[in-house]
This record gives sequence, C-alpha cells and structure tokens, in this order.
Amino acid sequence: MARPAFSTQPSRAGRRLRRAILVAFLVVVAVVLVLPLTLTQQAADANLDPTTLGIDFAMNKSIVRTETTIAMFVALAAAWNLIGGLTGYAAFGNVAFFGLGAYTVGYLTDKLHLSFALALPLAPVVAAAFAGLIGLPLLRLRGHYFAIATLGTGIAVGEVIKNLDVFGGATGLFPPILRHADALFFYLMAANAGLAVLVTWLVLRSRFGYGLIAIRENEEAASVLGVNTTAYKVGAFALAAALTGLAGGIFAQWASFIDQESVFPIQYNVEMILMAIIGGAGTLFGPVAGAIVLEWLILELAGGGASAVYAQIGLGLLLAVTVIFVPRGVVDFFGGSSRLTLGYLRRTLRETSV
Amino acid sequence: MSLFVQQLVLGLMLGGVYVAVAIGFSLVWGILNIVNLAHGALVVVGMYATWFLFTHAGLDPFLTLPLDALILFAVGYFLQRVLINRVIRAPLFFTLLLTFGINLVLINLFLLWFKADFRSVTPSYAGTGLSLGAVTVPYIRLAALVIALVQAGLVGLFMNRSRTGFAVQAVGADKDAAQLVGIDLRHVYALTFAVGAACAGVAGGLLSTIQAISPTAGEPYTLQAFVVVILGGLGRVSATVVGGLLFGLIEVLAQSQVPGLGAGWSNAIAFAVLVLVLVLRPQGLMGRLA
Repeated sequence: MARPAFSTQPSRAGRRLRRAILVAFLVVVAVVLVLPLTLTQQAADANLDPTTLGIDFAMNKSIVRTETTIAMFVALAAAWNLIGGLTGYAAFGNVAFFGLGAYTVGYLTDKLHLSFALALPLAPVVAAAFAGLIGLPLLRLRGHYFAIATLGTGIAVGEVIKNLDVFGGATGLFPPILRHADALFFYLMAANAGLAVLVTWLVLRSRFGYGLIAIRENEEAASVLGVNTTAYKVGAFALAAALTGLAGGIFAQWASFIDQESVFPIQYNVEMILMAIIGGAGTLFGPVAGAIVLEWLILELAGGGASAVYAQIGLGLLLAVTVIFVPRGVVDFFGGSSRLTLGYLRRTLRETSV
Repeated sequence: MSLFVQQLVLGLMLGGVYVAVAIGFSLVWGILNIVNLAHGALVVVGMYATWFLFTHAGLDPFLTLPLDALILFAVGYFLQRVLINRVIRAPLFFTLLLTFGINLVLINLFLLWFKADFRSVTPSYAGTGLSLGAVTVPYIRLAALVIALVQAGLVGLFMNRSRTGFAVQAVGADKDAAQLVGIDLRHVYALTFAVGAACAGVAGGLLSTIQAISPTAGEPYTLQAFVVVILGGLGRVSATVVGGLLFGLIEVLAQSQVPGLGAGWSNAIAFAVLVLVLVLRPQGLMGRLA
C-alpha cells in the first residue's frame, strides 16, 4: 500500500512553528522595508556635507543595492511561477520580457525624452502585448518544444534589438540619471515584487487560477471541462510578461544604461526558474523564498573576477543537487508536512530515477 | 551567378557542420527524450581535446577525431549514469535544468583551465581550397561535410543494424516494456547519451579547424542543433542530415541575399526558422506525426 506523499493537515507543533516563522518573517520584512529609507537619508545628508562621505556611505549604498536586486528577482521568480509553476509551461525565455520592458523605458526616456513616470507604465504593456503575440503560436507547443522555443525568443529578441540602430544598436541606451533615487528604486522594485505576490494570490483563488492548474494537471481534460485553454494560457503568459516587463522598466532607469548584454542575460531565465523550483513551484511564497535565498547567495558569492567563476560553478552544482534531490522545493518540506530527512531524499530520488 | 553557386556551396558546407553537431543531439532527444542543453559544452570539450593533441602532440586535427569520440564517450557515459539518470522520471523540464547546470559547470571549468583566450588549430592546409572555375571549395570544410555524413551513416548503421542499436530503439519506444524484456535501462540510457556525446566530440574536433576555440564557443550550437532537429523532424538520422544541410543553406542564403541581414543575425534567423516550422509543420519536414 503506497502511503501518501504528503498529508494535508499539519500537526499542532507544525502549526506553532509555522506561526513563529511567519512572525519572524514579518519582522524581517518590516526591517528590510524601512532600512533603505534611513540608509539613503544618511546618504543624502552626507551628500550635503561632503566631509562625512566615506566607507559608511558606500556600505549603505551597497546594502540598498543588494535589497533592490533581491526584490527584482522576487518579482521575476513570482512572475515565472504564474506560467511555469501554475500553468506548468516551462517558459525558458522570460528574459525577453525583462529586456523589452527595459528597452521600452530606455527608448522613451533616452530617445523621446519622456519622463520616467510616463514611460514606466508602458513597459508592462509592451511586454504583455509581445507575450500575447508570440504566445498564440508558441503556447500550442508542449514540453521541450515550448521550452526551447521560448529560450530562442529570449535570445532572438535581444539580438534583433542589438541590430537595430533605433534602439542604440550595440552602444545601448542611456536613460537620464536620476540622482539620490536609491530608495525610490528599492521601493519600486519591492512594490513590483509585492504586486507579483498579490497577483499570484488573487489568481490562486480565482476561477482563472483553477483553470490554469487544471491545464497543468491535464490539458485535454481541462479543455473538455470547458476551460478555454488558449485564452487561459495566453492570459497567464501575458500576466507573467507584464510583471517581468515592469521589473525590466524599473531596472533600465535604475541602471541608467542598458544594452543587449545587461538586459537579455540568458542566465536570468534559468535563475528565476531555479528560484521558483527551490522554493516550490506553484506555491504562493515558494518563489519568493527561493529568490531571496538564492539571489542573496549569488550576490554574496559573486565578488567578481575569479570568484565569479567559482560562483557560477557553485550555481551549476546547486542546480544539479536541487533537481536531483529536492524536485518539489524546500517549501514542500517546510510549509508542507514532509520533513527534510534522509528518507525524504531517498524517496524523491527513487521516484525520479530510471 | 557564380557568386550564388559559391553561396550554395558554402551553405552546404555550413550545413555539414550543423549535421555533425545535431546528430548526437537528435539521438539523445529522440531516444531519451532529453533536450541536452550541455550539448554545446560537450562540443567545446571536443574542440579543446583536438587543440591539445594538435598543439602538444603534433597530431593532425583529423586524426584526433577518434580520440575526441573516445574521450567524449566516457564523459557522456559518466554524466548520464551518475547524474541525468536520476531525473528521468521527474517532470520534463528538470532534465533541461540539470543539463543547463552541467553546461554552466563545464563552461566555467573551461574558463578556469583555459582562460577566456581564443585558441585555434591551424594545420598546414588551412585556408587552401579546390578551385572549380569561379567557385572555391575549402578543403577543411569539404572534409568536415564528408566526415559529418560518414558519422551520420555510422550512427544510422549502429541504430538499425546492431543488436545494441535495437535495444536503444526499444528503450526509445517504451522504456518500461524494454525493461520487462530484460534490457538494462541504466546502461542503455548511459550508452545512448555516450554515443550522442561522442558525436558532439567529433563535431568539436571538426569545428576546431574552422572557428576560434573559446569556453563559450559551443553556446550557439545548442540552439542551432535544436532548430536542425525541428526542421528535419525528430527520430531519424536521415531527417537530421536533411535538416542540417537545409538549415546551413537557409542561413547562408538569408545572410547574403536578404538586404539588411548580416552575420549578427544568425540567432534571429534560427529563431524565425524555428517558429515557422513549429507553426506550419510541427513534425518537421521528414518527421512522423506523434
């Protein structure tokens, strides 16, 4: 008799532990959200009095920078989760939407001299429109075909933009620099991350979300039950693209310089997937947890130079270990009731090996 | 006119390179249902192996090809047996993630050992060619085309004439049924991947005489191998040959005949071909309907 992989009711001790974790989590979130304000306030004060500029100033800037980057990846991983985790379509090219969002803001601010506030709302619109356009043919594909077709999208869009002089060609685009806006960019990224989680939460509770999960579990059955699979899939794809494009748009202004390499990096595709999977694909907070832990690790490890090579090797090994041993993600054994034991690892290994 | 013929010849020869690269990729995908994102990195292993033997042992690059195949066979067997076999029954894109991880590790190991320098293999006959009127046929590329076709033929013979090849095909058709009739799945999986990797090694050896060698030199080839397989159709060696040659022609003709397109557009061209085929004829030119 096969025993169920998870039981749905956590034990009382489990509930207490989860409540404690939640409280600790909220405290950390509060600190993280307030920190940039005080840090950049110091920075702004320091800027008025140049004599105090020093190591603290640089440290503070770097902390805010780290937080902003992590918030960005939370949004990317949560957005990927909509199409990859909920709908079960292994999108490998979401970086296309990131880059399109970034280039939308870059083009409008650099070439058309629009203000950032006016340009930013267009980033998700452009990304979502593109997702709808390519989603119609691509989402008819399944499995590997969809995965590689989207991977190709990510590469091709970047290459096309690089070859068009309107978009700055190989030189790239230079949105005008906004000064003393470190905190602003952090809050924009954090708001986008929050938005991504909120959207996931709403989707998970909606008819739309049930439709997506039905598609993931069995697309033919979902279709027979009356789910308009094409509309649902394209909708999920466009939603993910909008959130990713918004992150790209904020990034463009934050970086104040973009080119093909900086906003179409292929490894982002896999990083956001890995974050979602390590955390637990298809869950609400899994991608968030995965993004925070993994991006923090990446930023800590990648000091540049030779250590960057080791960081990449570490990332590759982590990828291998994750997919081999914990394919259901850490949220499965922290949030669920299965525990991280040798037995759990052995069981998942046996389930997936030939 | 002769310029056009020259482009056709160059396109066919480029197609030969694509055939060499895609044969192993197609085998692994068709039989094991694994899209090997580390295929390009395996090609680069072959490049470095040939470079090493050419520079340090003075071997002719074409003589190193069997050694490349042997080395990559061992590497491939190890990778599949120890790592990829572990995720065969997991959801599909786990194999993609795992092979991407392997790709990442390999590329960074190359960076560590060989640095980011460009290296090249230049035998005495590099740059010479056969002149047929106004059309020139470079010897090295011609040899690469011939070797790619021979390689495809050998893989076809192995699959369709040997007992082991039948076992591989049986595993591709239904792995559980194959296991029931006594086929050692773990071994056949590893063996198939090893043959695929050996083909990548030969492709790498051929490419080392054609282009500069660097840790990331294999990256474009993974996507291009994918496009070749889609174009030709999955599951047959002959389909990969047709797909590879045709894709080489398409790329060269698009870059030379279509105004505004140049060498910087190869990925975009590949992607356009990919989407067109997937939309118009998803089973590929010679593929059977699933």
